[in-house]
Amino acid sequence: MSKEINRLHPISAVITSVKALKSMILPIAIIIISNGFNFSLNFRSDHFFDTILLFGVWGVAALLALMGGIIKWRTFVYWFEDGELRIKYGLFVKKKRYIPFERIQSLNYNEGIFHRIFGLVKVQVETAGSKGGKPEVELTAIRKAAADVIELEMRRAKNEGVNPLHAEQEEVVEESVSTPAIYHMSMRDLLVLATTSGGIGVVLSGLAAIASQFSDIIPYETVFHELADFVKIGAFLVALTVMFILIVAWVVSVLITLINYYDYTVRIEEDKLILTKGLLEKKRITLPLNRIQAIRIVENPLRQLTGFATVVVESAGGNGEDGMDKKITLFPLIKKQDCMESLEHLFPEMNWYPSFTRSPKKARSFFYRIDFIWLVPIIGACSYFFYPYGLLSLLLIPLTILLGIWQHKTAGYQIDGKQLALQYRVFSRVTLIMEKKRIQSMGSTQSYFQKRKNVMSIKATVMSGASGTTGSVSSLEQHDAETILSWYEH
Amino acid sequence: MRAQPIHQISRKGLTVWRLYGVIQTLVLLIVAVLVSYGTYYFEWPLFIYYIAGAIVVLSAVLSVFIFPKIRWERWRYEVREHEIEVQHGLFVVKRTLIPMVRVQHVDTTQGPILKKHDLGNISISTAATVHTIPALVMDEADLLRARISELARVAEDDV
Repeated sequence: MSKEINRLHPISAVITSVKALKSMILPIAIIIISNGFNFSLNFRSDHFFDTILLFGVWGVAALLALMGGIIKWRTFVYWFEDGELRIKYGLFVKKKRYIPFERIQSLNYNEGIFHRIFGLVKVQVETAGSKGGKPEVELTAIRKAAADVIELEMRRAKNEGVNPLHAEQEEVVEESVSTPAIYHMSMRDLLVLATTSGGIGVVLSGLAAIASQFSDIIPYETVFHELADFVKIGAFLVALTVMFILIVAWVVSVLITLINYYDYTVRIEEDKLILTKGLLEKKRITLPLNRIQAIRIVENPLRQLTGFATVVVESAGGNGEDGMDKKITLFPLIKKQDCMESLEHLFPEMNWYPSFTRSPKKARSFFYRIDFIWLVPIIGACSYFFYPYGLLSLLLIPLTILLGIWQHKTAGYQIDGKQLALQYRVFSRVTLIMEKKRIQSMGSTQSYFQKRKNVMSIKATVMSGASGTTGSVSSLEQHDAETILSWYEH
Repeated sequence: MRAQPIHQISRKGLTVWRLYGVIQTLVLLIVAVLVSYGTYYFEWPLFIYYIAGAIVVLSAVLSVFIFPKIRWERWRYEVREHEIEVQHGLFVVKRTLIPMVRVQHVDTTQGPILKKHDLGNISISTAATVHTIPALVMDEADLLRARISELARVAEDDV
């Protein structure tokens, strides 16, 4: 066991401070803009003190951020001892954290642009207890070789635990590990993913947010007057402008997706899944197979038509991209057929071709009837206040019924040995496949009307991240629903 | 047809729920009085009186008399060797199964009103969900908690 003390790379000071500074930019911009650029260094000006105060405060904050970065780099050390990863940091309050290697769930690598220039990598160490998406330990920037050393130490510690005698032999085998990818996203798939993703919504709302930020500067009233003239010129031009904005937003979202998902590869190494992706910022996520609780196959209507699907794994404990969500996208976009083959390859013990028992025909009306409760008042109000155009809202009725019928057609379940598969849709078709031992709790719900028709809804909760994910199928035959509950009982 | 879980919650629970209903109605009444005073003072339209009155009366009838009764009659639970089954709901009957091996911990909690009636809530947590059985007689709740934690101490599957 080496006891040498390791430090972060000096660049980590820069990265930490830049990160802190970056989070200050938006508030500064907002304040400067809302002040209407009324700044003055003239002592007699009214704005003199405002200006001094503002720039003073932000200057100090920026200085603190810089110092914080340097202090973190100077004080942060890590080393390996007694089969543990140990870290120590802090200037006044010293913090130490020891993590036994067996407890480490995953090592995630992340290479931002800064990292890539200097051949560095950010390492996030996650355990089952990582809370709120925050990794247990984050090494801001270390050399790639140093990152490999961590992994090597980890393996050695684990092997010693399992089988001290054969540890050396096994290590020889592991040196040559470079398993073939089980999934690599082709350029074509990447393009399809980028063009059909919902990212456009994000970009549009981003534009709206920016527009609202600048509401003080943009003279909306003038704009609206001009807009009125504009409308007179012709609805055509308006439509054209809207189209143009939409297309720009779409192109931006396509580019973002392309950059994020470039070279998306899934590998399997020992008992872990390894995902790598990214063009400018490279990411590498590891996911132990035994932490996977359930597999979710999502097909939005467009992709269902073209035979594509997205596969998401629900995993226990802290994990996930950017520490935001606990659901890890395994295959962002894959042909349904390939998807099943790959999944079968990954989890051979599970049945990937379920044949579903569907919701009975008598249950169909339950899928849209409830919607009328909110639909009728809305339609009534629209028709009354916006007569005659409000009558168009009547179109919602057939649309809701059609969607309901579609949902009814999708609702189904299958029990196969120790595995439960649920299929349902809101808009996208979701197939949730889980093992009995992973289900945390199951429930049924039945309203008065459902009881009269002898149908029952079923839901199953699996652990995912810190809280759970629930899959639910509405209005199954009561007998079927009770079969599922009894299956779960024993 | 699955049999219902066998145990009902204590009759005193119904009293406590009615009490909650009374408190809710009183709060609404205070709000209604304030609004009515505002209506009188600022000469807002008359129908506000009627709406405020209707809300208070409805709340009194529903949350003191009708809803607690339905809820109480529906509430059932059963602790078996391998699982806990819970049934509750107002308009929609919800039944939940929690296997013993999934139970992570059990809590009992007791607020001032429950304490006065010697009642307690018992919460059963799994890794992903929390299920509460309300208004049990305190002794029973403690017994149940002890029993669940004993039964749950079986060799654990991985989460």
